[in-house]
This record gives sequence, structure tokens and C-alpha cells, in this order.
Amino acid sequence: MRVRVAAAALVSALALAGCGGSGTPDLKVSAAASLKSPLTAYAKAFTTAHVQLSFGGSDVLAAQIRQGARFDVYAAANAALPEALHTQRLVERPVPFARNRLVLAVPAGSSARGLRDLERPGRRLAVGSATVPIGTYTGQVLARLDPSERALVLGNVRSREPDVTGIVGKLAQGAVDGGFVYVTDVNATRGALRAIELPAAVQPTVVYEAAVVRDGDHGRQARAFIDGLLHGRGAAQLRAAGFGPPPA
Amino acid sequence: MTRSGRFAVLLAAALAVAFVFLALPMVAIFVDTSPGALLDSLGSGESLDALRLSLECSALALAVIVIVGTPAAYLLATRSFRGRAFVVTVLELPLVLPPAVAGIALLAALGPKGILGSALADTGVELVLTTAGVVVALTFVASPFYLRQAQAAFAAVDPTLLAAARTLGAGEARAFGRVAIPLARGGLAAGAALAWGRALGEFGATLMFAGSLRGVTQTAPLAIYDRFATDFPAALALSAVLLAVSAAVLLAVRLAAGTEALGRART
Amino acid sequence: MLALEARHALRGFALDVALDVAPGRCLALAGPSGAGKTTVLRIAAGLLRPGAGRVSCGGEVWLDTARGRDLPPERRRVGVVFQDYALFPHLSARDNVVFGVAGQPRAERRRRAQDALERLGVGGLAGARPADLSGGERQRVALARALAREPRALLLDEPLAALDARNRSRAGHELERVLSAAGVPVLLVTHDFGEAAALADEVAVLDRGRVIQRGVPDHIAAAPASAFVADLVGATVLTGTARAGANGLTTVALDGGGEAVSTDIAEGRVAVSLYPWEVVLEPPGTPPAGSARNRLEARVASMTRLGNRVRVGLTGGQPLTAELTAASADDLGLAPGDQVVATWKGTATRVVPLD
Repeated sequence: MRVRVAAAALVSALALAGCGGSGTPDLKVSAAASLKSPLTAYAKAFTTAHVQLSFGGSDVLAAQIRQGARFDVYAAANAALPEALHTQRLVERPVPFARNRLVLAVPAGSSARGLRDLERPGRRLAVGSATVPIGTYTGQVLARLDPSERALVLGNVRSREPDVTGIVGKLAQGAVDGGFVYVTDVNATRGALRAIELPAAVQPTVVYEAAVVRDGDHGRQARAFIDGLLHGRGAAQLRAAGFGPPPA
Repeated sequence: MTRSGRFAVLLAAALAVAFVFLALPMVAIFVDTSPGALLDSLGSGESLDALRLSLECSALALAVIVIVGTPAAYLLATRSFRGRAFVVTVLELPLVLPPAVAGIALLAALGPKGILGSALADTGVELVLTTAGVVVALTFVASPFYLRQAQAAFAAVDPTLLAAARTLGAGEARAFGRVAIPLARGGLAAGAALAWGRALGEFGATLMFAGSLRGVTQTAPLAIYDRFATDFPAALALSAVLLAVSAAVLLAVRLAAGTEALGRART
Repeated sequence: MLALEARHALRGFALDVALDVAPGRCLALAGPSGAGKTTVLRIAAGLLRPGAGRVSCGGEVWLDTARGRDLPPERRRVGVVFQDYALFPHLSARDNVVFGVAGQPRAERRRRAQDALERLGVGGLAGARPADLSGGERQRVALARALAREPRALLLDEPLAALDARNRSRAGHELERVLSAAGVPVLLVTHDFGEAAALADEVAVLDRGRVIQRGVPDHIAAAPASAFVADLVGATVLTGTARAGANGLTTVALDGGGEAVSTDIAEGRVAVSLYPWEVVLEPPGTPPAGSARNRLEARVASMTRLGNRVRVGLTGGQPLTAELTAASADDLGLAPGDQVVATWKGTATRVVPLD
């Protein structure tokens, strides 16, 4: 008798857990780490679905999708990764939705004024790993420096982080003296970090693209979510965080 | 089937489920890897650097853990003192700490802005973003594994034997070294194996506290994560190697404890 | 000379003892478990520091709480044999003995260890591990280990308790020989008065932390100072009320019915003790004959054969035990449930005030 009651309770609990607010579908969104604050705010205001966000290095997220992770939306910090997934027929045609800018970030109290200050011996730098967008962008910046300067910078690199969060974290803790991040990351720290602008000549083209993942259950809401990044609440949040509009 | 027969089947089924659940992912790593990719992985300089770093740092961490932890565990096991329960709780805390939290905690204590930050800077000791920092992170997360086992092993030593040693002219230190440690050998080895395994696999705290740089701080788990995004087969291959190394470590420590420890488990 | 005095709070009562043992003599501390005997041993060995006390051996002061002196066990030359022998399981018998032998090159220590084992008749087992030895062999190795140190005093905790009944008496004889030959003060503790009587020159009876009687075993058995001692010694203890009776004898009105007379003088509430082997059983209805003045009607509750003897448990007004030869029990055709008359002599009846 007791077993029956327990079983009934277990079944109802599972059913309730499975429901999760009947009617509103769950939308799983994987997004680049640098999109954390604008997308979190956007997700709260997104009414047609209950948005579950996963942040990380865009490359790792792409790998997860390749391995079969069931996301509905993929928003990356570059165009190459979504395009590659599209070629592999894993996502629908990607859509550019924002621009960003690379900066050299230093702790707010630092006396550094430019990249030269961080080329001195003993200075410590953090950059992105080779395959994460922030890392590849940084590589492009370094490639545009002259070789001796590039060597000095690389000599001071003390960590290659899997995503921007790690770089920002190390800067905030004073573990490194400088790091290459997006300007939006510096904005998000609300004054803990200061951005040193890079010369226009070395600035890479940073375009963010998003795509609907194929074979998902909520294609309509997924498209609506991406649409909002272009025209609606999402766009407003991106602007407020410092992201530029997508190329026309 | 009799009631006891039914119970026996249930026990066997539980064990089978546990075994399959734990074995399947590990088997999958080997099945999915091609021998070619495995050899490539072993041949690549990056992989070798990562493995070497993992082994060196985890071995160093283990040495620190055993040298400091063994007398500490002995004290905890054989004496009661005020605040003992509190001390034990604190020592076990890293067990339940998420690795990322452990990393943050280490930064808050030993980072440049940490409690000991300026003191360390004054003495010229750099821990963050260094190989030494990796050892610190590994020691922090792996210590409780050893301490718990060692404490239990010492507690299981018959106190009368230690008393007998004292009456035979052995001071506290000699009783510790010549009686307690040999008799606790099995448990100490088991704890060392667990701690070493945990240190080999540590990721989050290492990344946070020591960063990731090839040859300096990029241990095997970090290298695997780095590879996962763009070169899944390479990540798989390195995982297989790390798995095999971990298994070898576990086996080696068990054997070092002597067959006596195994024999005791059999009875 | 081993001299010990100690006061220490134990669970429910306070230990308060003062005793001494001359070199070459053996004192047994006898009492039930929980009386504090092991505590005394641990104090002597230095494993426990009493609230207050003084221990000295051979002129050297080992403990003096008043002066803050407390030598740890390893600095006292004391030899201890623990109840379960406490042999180190990871060492051979010889290495166990070597452990306690100090100084000298290793070869010399091994030789002395081997000698010690041979003196106790276990020289051939030197290479064996304790787990492979019998209880008796382990006891001898433990003794060798304690003696090889040439201790100033020897302490033994229930030395025969871990042996099975069959080996106990032979082991007891051998142990007694070894202890006398040791030439040092020996203090042993036991809950078994028989063991104490077999091994020691003197016995001190310990009850709830205090020594209530000390003397040679025979004397204690013959004249127990209290019901507790009588019970420890193995006598049957009956309770009753005594008054002066005829002919200078004491008459005791036994609780539960019946009377007994005794040549001891006492009045008021008393304990009457007698030994089972002094009780004669007769079939009911037999007219009194012979000089035994005490007669009690009782029923046989149990019978236990012990070789050629039988212990008969009786219930009268109070429980009583009689010990008969098996032959007599058979001749009388005794069986549980039978009514009998238990008789014994007034001169064999000890009477002590009831505490």
C-alpha cells in the first residue's frame, strides 16, 4: 500500500518537473561569453519562450553542437564558426547581428597608456586560446604588428584562456597587467577595467553571427529570438552594452 | 524465487548498473579513438608537454600532501582537542567545493589582490600563472582525499598497539613511524591513489588560478579542453592517454602498498 | 620495590589506592571489571596520568604529581604484557622482541631477542608472524618481549584470560615460574581470584576503586572481609540477620527462610559465606546425623558436570551452590526438580557484617 502511494507521488513529481510552466516552451540558446550581460537581460524580456542560456567560448559551443547538443539558437562572436556549421548542415543560414571592437584592457588603476607599456619585460598578458574568436582576432592584431613588437608581446603572454571571462577575471584579480578583450567586456565591468584603444590599422573586423540550429523543436521561437537581436529588445540591449549594429 | 534469492539478484543488478554506467564512457573513449590518432597524439609536442606537466605537478602535489598530511591525519586520528570537529570540517571542505570556487578562493587568498598577495610579492614568490601555482591548485583540491583516508586508517590502528610500543621504549615519533604507519599502510596508499587521481584530473581551479599556457601551466585536462573545440579526435586521443596514465597511477600506488593491503580487503 | 599511590576520578566513583610490591614478589590486584584495576596498571606504566599520585620503582621516581614529574612510558623501564598481548602484527615474533631491546648493534639485539624467546620455550617460532601463533605461544612471545627489556617492574593485564580453559592451568604454572625467576616486582590484575591465587604471592581485592582486603590468597579465601570479597573468591553468599545464639554460637535468620549457625561472632545484618565443596546433600526426610549443624531444605535447579565433579545449583530461600563428586550425584540419583536437604558445618560458615 505504501509502495503504491510512493509511486504515485513520484510520477506526479516527475510530471510537474517535466511541465515547467505548461504552454511556454523552453528555448536553449548557446552564446559567446562576451554576450553574457546583454543576452541575459534580453532573455528575461523574451515572452514567447522560457530562454535557457549557455555561455562559453564560441568554438567549444560549436563543437558541442557538432557532437549533437540540442540547442535551438547559436550565437557566436565571429562569422567563421556559424558558417562552418551551416556548411555541415547543422544550422540554418547564419545572420550577422552585431559588431564589436577589440581593445587592450588594463586594470583601472594601471598606469599603462598603450601596447608599448605592456611590451616591457616582466609584464604579464592574457589572451584567448588559438581557436576561440577572441584569440583568433588577437592573432590578427598581432600579425599586423611588426615582428619585433609581436615577439615582445608574445613573450609576455602568460595564459591562453578558453574564453573572455577568464581574461577579464585574471585582469580583475590583478593576476595579469593587460589582456585583449572586447570593448563590451570592459564596459560590463563598470569601471574595474580601462580600455586602451588599438590603432585602426590593426583592428580586425569583428562581426557576430547567429543561426537557428536545425532539427530543433522550437524553430519559430528561435527565429523570433534572433529577430529580436536585430530589431527588438535584443538589439536595444546589445546597443546599451556597447555592441555596434551589424554591417548593412 | 525465495526472498533471499530475489534480494541477491537485486544486489547483482545494482552492481551491474553501477559498473556499466561507470565503465561505458571510459570504454567509449578507447573505442572511438583510432590507433593512428592515439599515436599522433602521443607524438605531438603539445600533448607530451601537457602530459609531462600533469605528471610532474601532480607528483609534486602528492609529495606535499603526503609529507604534510600524514602527521596531520595522525594527530586528528589519535587525539581529541577543542575544536577538532571544526578543524576536520574545514579540512574536508575542498571536497565539496566546485573547482571554480576553489580557483576563486585561491586567488582571493594568494592572488595579487589576495590576503597574502602583498606578502608573497614582497618575498618574490609568484604563484598565479606559474607552474608552482598549478601545484598549489592541485594540492588544494586533492588534499582532502588523502586526509580523510589517512585519518580513517590511523584511527583503525589498535591504540593498545601504540601503547605497547610506548612501554617498549618507543617515543611518540618512533611509535608513529614504526607502528602506526606500517599498520595504516593500506589506507594511506588508497588515500594517496585517490588524491593523485584527483590531482591528475583537476581543471577548473587550475585554469582560474594558474591559467593555461603550453609547457608552463597547460596540464592534460586543459589541453584536452583546448583541443575539444576544433580537433575532437585529438581531444579523444589525449583523453585516452590520460585515462590510461590515471589507471596506471592507481594500480602502481595500490601495488606499492603491498599485497598485504589487497589481501586484507579480500577477507 | 614498586610503590604506587594514586587518586583518580573514574566513572561513578573515585580510585584511591596505595600499594607496594617487593622485588621478586608478585601482587595480584583482583576485582570485577570496572573496579579500576586496569587504570592502576596504566598509571604504573605511564599511560595514564592520575589526578594525584606518586609512582616510584627501584628508587627512581616515575610519577609525582605534586612535583609535576611525569616520566612518559618510554622513559620508564617497565615491561607490560597486555590482555590480548598487543603483538605487532606486521613484525615477526623475533622482531617484536627486538623492538623493545635498546641500543647495541642490530646483530646483538637480535641475539638477545632470540635468547629471550628460547628462555620461554618459543625460540623455534622466532620467524613466525603473530597471526600464525596459538594463544599460548603469543602469550609467551609477549612475555619474552616484555622481559627482554630487562625491565625494573613487570605489569600484566589478565595474563591468562585470553587462553582457552584447557591450556590455562599449564600456562599458569609456567607463568608462575617465569614471574618468580624474573627478580623484579610484578603487578598483575585479574577478575579471576583463582588466577590470582595461582600466580601471585599476595592478593589485593579492589572494589570500586578501593582495596578492601590484602593478604595471601589462602587467608583471604578463609576469612573474606566482606560479602563482596567472599563472592569474588567463589563462595556462596547468603544474607540474613544475626543474633547471639546458644553455646556461644551466632544464629543467623536467613532471608527467605531457614537458619544457620556460625562460630564467627556478629550481630545485625550480615552476609554468610560458605564454599560449595563444604555443602553435603541428603535426600529429604533423612534424620539429622553427624556434626553438621546447618540444614536447609532446597530444590535442585541445575546440575553442571565438570569432569569428575558436579556443581549443583539449589534454590531454597536463597540460591545456594553445592559441589559433589559425580559419583555421589549419580548414587543419589539427583536430577533438576528434586527436593534435597543441604547441610554444612557451623565451623565452615563465615559471617561478615553486610555493607
